[in-house]
Amino acid sequence: MADRRRALAACLALAAGLPAAAAAPRASAPGGSAPARSVAIENMQFTPATLQVRRGERIVWSNRDLVPHTVTARDGSFDSHAIAPGATWSFVATQAGALDYACLYHPTMVAHLDVR
Amino acid sequence: MQSIKFAALAVALACGATAALAAGPNDAQIAAIVVTANQVDIDAGKFAEAHASKADVKAFAKLMVTDHTAVNKSATDLAGRLHLTPEDNPTAQSLKKGGEDNIANLKTLSGAAFDKAYVDHEVAYHEAVLSALDGTLVPNASNADLKALMVKVRPAFVAHLEHARHLQAELGKSGG
Repeated sequence: MADRRRALAACLALAAGLPAAAAAPRASAPGGSAPARSVAIENMQFTPATLQVRRGERIVWSNRDLVPHTVTARDGSFDSHAIAPGATWSFVATQAGALDYACLYHPTMVAHLDVR
Repeated sequence: MQSIKFAALAVALACGATAALAAGPNDAQIAAIVVTANQVDIDAGKFAEAHASKADVKAFAKLMVTDHTAVNKSATDLAGRLHLTPEDNPTAQSLKKGGEDNIANLKTLSGAAFDKAYVDHEVAYHEAVLSALDGTLVPNASNADLKALMVKVRPAFVAHLEHARHLQAELGKSGG
């Protein structure tokens, strides 16, 4: 019995933990600002390379490389300019749509934003 | 003629690496090789930024200055934290000599010939440095932080090589 209860508790903890991460972006803070979503800039790549966000969500890019990068929309709707190694840059997506972005310095670094 | 020079650069790097490898380069020698490799490309980049004719070659040269300066800052910061004084060695010397020869050659060129020579050299140079990283520098680094720095910087060098190869192909097309 105790074992079953422990197993159930573990399942509940898991169930509570996993969707919490997935659902977090949907939760709105009382002030109106949504929690931030993260994109890592590391090993000359954006990770994840495709990110789905909701309008109003803040996206934070963290440069973990040793060289500067930019986060620049192909359509010109946003441009971080140089993000120094170790620094971050954030942007709030306000318009729904699909956006391709890239690092202006390193043409092989491309990624995609899907704002819903 | 150019290809002979590039082959000579690659051989010089490889031989320098082998000479230093007789006992395997120590961390102080590796630090000198890393700093010299970056400095050589910064110098070539500064020269090409001022003298290249095509805008995308100039932009690449500027990127080399920015990126290799940033990497060298990390390398010298780390060397300082580790109390590691870079120690001159045959590989660092051959890198320096190769860089000086490259700029001496670039000084004799202009226009499309300059752009081609600079970009061809950047391709050969990044190939040689990646080969030295994988074959000599990373395997011989004993300090974990020094090893980690080189592993961390590797993707940037790969991206530079791809970028340079792309430019090389573009110049090949436009040069007919």
